[in-house]
Amino acid sequence: MNIVQLKKLSYDEVAKCNKCGFCLPSCPTYLVKKAESYSARGRNAITRFAIENKLELNEDTERAIFTCLGCGACTAVCLSSVQTKDLIFQNRECQVDAGFYPKVAKRLVKILEESHNISDEDQEDRAEWQELIKELPEDAFEKETADVVFFVGCVASFFPMVQKIPANMAKIMQSAGVDFTILGGEEWCCGFPLIGAGMPEKLAAMKDHNLKKVAKVGAKTIVFTCPSCYHTWHHFYKSDAKLMHASQLILELIKDKKIEFNKNIKGVATYHDPCDLGRNTGVYEEPREIIKAIPGLEFVELPMNRKFSVCCGGGGNVEMTDPDLSAQVAQTKLASIKAVGADTVLTACQQCVRTMETRAKRSKTDLVVKDLTQLVIEAME
Amino acid sequence: MDKQKLIASLNEIVGPDNVLSSEMDLMLYSYDASLDKAKPDVVVLPDSTEEVSKIMALAYKEKIPILGRGSGTNLTGGTVPIKGGIVVHFSRMNRILEIDYANRTATVQPGVITLDLQTEVLKKGFVYQPDPASQKVSTIGGNVSENSGGPHCLKYGVTSNHVQGLEVVLNDGTVINTGGKARDNAGYDITALVVGSEGTVGLVTKAILKLERAPESVKTLLAIFDAIEDGANTVSAIVAEGIIPATLEMMDNTVMRAVEETIKVGYPLDAACVLIIELDGMPEGMDDNASKIVEICRQNHVRDVRLAKDEAERNVLWAGRKGAFGSVGQVRPSYLCCDGTVPRTKLPEVLNQVIEIGKKYNLPIGNVFHAGDGNLHPLIMFDERDEDERSRVLKASTEILKACADAGGTISGEHGVGMEKLKETAFIFNECDLEFERQIKRAFDPDDIINPGKMIPANS
Ligand SMILES: Cc1cc2nc3c(=O)[nH]c(=O)nc-3n(C[C@H](O)[C@H](O)[C@H](O)COP(=O)(O)OP(=O)(O)OC[C@H]3O[C@@H](n4cnc5c(N)ncnc54)[C@H](O)[C@@H]3O)c2cc1C
Ligand code: SF4
Ligand code: SF4
Repeated sequence: MNIVQLKKLSYDEVAKCNKCGFCLPSCPTYLVKKAESYSARGRNAITRFAIENKLELNEDTERAIFTCLGCGACTAVCLSSVQTKDLIFQNRECQVDAGFYPKVAKRLVKILEESHNISDEDQEDRAEWQELIKELPEDAFEKETADVVFFVGCVASFFPMVQKIPANMAKIMQSAGVDFTILGGEEWCCGFPLIGAGMPEKLAAMKDHNLKKVAKVGAKTIVFTCPSCYHTWHHFYKSDAKLMHASQLILELIKDKKIEFNKNIKGVATYHDPCDLGRNTGVYEEPREIIKAIPGLEFVELPMNRKFSVCCGGGGNVEMTDPDLSAQVAQTKLASIKAVGADTVLTACQQCVRTMETRAKRSKTDLVVKDLTQLVIEAME
Repeated sequence: MDKQKLIASLNEIVGPDNVLSSEMDLMLYSYDASLDKAKPDVVVLPDSTEEVSKIMALAYKEKIPILGRGSGTNLTGGTVPIKGGIVVHFSRMNRILEIDYANRTATVQPGVITLDLQTEVLKKGFVYQPDPASQKVSTIGGNVSENSGGPHCLKYGVTSNHVQGLEVVLNDGTVINTGGKARDNAGYDITALVVGSEGTVGLVTKAILKLERAPESVKTLLAIFDAIEDGANTVSAIVAEGIIPATLEMMDNTVMRAVEETIKVGYPLDAACVLIIELDGMPEGMDDNASKIVEICRQNHVRDVRLAKDEAERNVLWAGRKGAFGSVGQVRPSYLCCDGTVPRTKLPEVLNQVIEIGKKYNLPIGNVFHAGDGNLHPLIMFDERDEDERSRVLKASTEILKACADAGGTISGEHGVGMEKLKETAFIFNECDLEFERQIKRAFDPDDIINPGKMIPANS
């Protein structure tokens, strides 16, 4: 996208930013870096100055624009409702056209086009997580037709630390008698990282492929453990199937008494709203209802919850473009969790689990990080 | 001094990570929440008084303009470096140094966010009173420099009434301490002079603030009126009765509509205006005062008076009020807030003039303000990108401030003069007044390097 196109697309929206600064204390990257270029107000000013030809896009603007987590916390507090995250992603398209974008983004696109997953692994290994399941059915969860498609997503497929998430979700559905299938090697990356990389037009091929595969299975419902896949399908795919996040399906299963909890879980837990699940797609209550249905567990809210939840540091590809910044944001998140006296943080996203668990280990923070699927399995056993 | 040398010297003081000089960074420190813009030569993010002192000494030696910046939310161009030079961003100096509950003081660095301090002391049942609508982002350094006020300042006074002492870095880098934890101090009241000086006499690096016990009980009323005059008359009648509520805020129909777009408060959208009246203190006598207020409202043709049932309802009412400025962004992308003060009894008259001025220049104007203080905040809504509209806005703003001054009021309630209202100082000061202010400024800063071009118009 060039500046003229950016002006057409973004000028009216960015002009709504009256520089009041109310977003500063909500922007996780500003709180860490404490300089205007790392704030939502600053990033909007960059877009506006660029459109008005007062500032050229270069390595500096690249750093500012590509360190946004895409978390949307700024818009949640903005009284003019400026859609800053979208503006920043549009600006990224411009940065890409001007040749100023992170090398890792370039590599990512190549990998996605060639391997169809973010890890540059063999697609055949997509279902490797099944090895974690003791009583794997003969079809290994890959059926010709099924009511439900379980869209696993790249991160949970390939990162060993979080492979237990799809394994647990599969076990939950299996024990509740849900007729589901996975797409295995035929599941391609949903394309979400491309939006963050400023190349949303490249998403089309992945979308077409995934839609075709789901149609072939004839599923009426697609379930996601990954909030970003879920968000991407919601906002960028046009699918007739019903889209559900894992937490929504699990809650239904609880209400229908298809799964039951037999075990008391000890401890004090809080819940971290993943940005793409909560603020960016609107699912806040289902995870909380599940947690409250677990016997024994004490639950405390974080002071910044639901719409105002603070990003874990894992959003917007920042983990790739500026790992230190991502880690510092994560550290702040851990501190806020410890401050409410929780020994466990629950969440509903493999990326949040990875970011927080890695940081907790590195900083020797005494905190258990769990995906909801794991909590549910533990309470069922 | 050559720019590269300046950067190198600053690098030595604060480390290269805390010196910003790219074209992008300079553009990003060219603005605040006002409409003005000008680029600095360099931005520094110090971490201690010592560093600030060294930066100031360097600026002094090289005669480089310098100004302090908190969150850049002021509305009058206070942090816009019109003469270039160094911007000192206090974002890293954001520590609460000490809370001394026994002496009821908090000692903080200038970059502490107002609400962060308030949240911290409330845990122990204390309050730091000044509550500008921007409290969740504004800094103590900014509040002190602008002498900021807020709804509760009707009863409790503005920032100057809550600052007991300061640490200030003077023009040549000397660090002085004014006031202290004790209430009475000998000598000139330098604290009072620095508070409200809009960053023109030195850089504030520490503030000793007054804490008070949180009130035992609070009652919040929403009075709904079908005519602005009725609301305005109610305000002066309440004060005339001898009741000083904690707040007496007015919001007109235009603003209520804008607020409802973002925060669902449940304001009556067919009413002309509402008053948010809050009483606080000991529970005894509160019901009495509340009934008196309701009676006064009735005498002034109120449509309805609602009482906030609980803390949640009260919070929602206030969220609407505090979000009012930003919400007008739902109507037009930009706004200019005219901050004039008039004697309370003149409110109905001046409000009418404001409406007329809006009509004359064909501009939407919303009103949301500290009615109890007679502190008006007409918000003129427009699109900054439209040159013609912009010039009409500036004319309308000057006329509104003139109307306030003519009514026996003043041109700034709490947002300062900055660079935006220099011309309008002539409405309230004569040449002798202004010259005396210049003398004071010269005593602190003979070279005119500390936030130059602000608050006092140049000699004509
Ligand atoms: C939506 C909105 C609502 C607002 N509501 C109110 C309100 O209700 N009441 C009110 O009074 N104001 C209000 N304001 C104005 C503004 O928020 C206040 O003036 C606030 O005190 C500024 O704080 P800041 O940290 O942003 O200071 P800045 O804007 O960064 O600076 C303000 C001035 O202080 C100087 N300064 C800052 N720090 C220092 C320091 N350490 N040493 C020396 N000088 C320094 C600067 O040079 C500048 O002149 C509002 C603004 C907005 C955008
Ligand atoms: S994005 Fe919204 S909250 Fe942030 S400065 Fe702009 S208008 Fe204010
Ligand atoms: S989306 Fe998140 S990281 Fe990006 S500007 Fe907004 S608050 Fe900051």
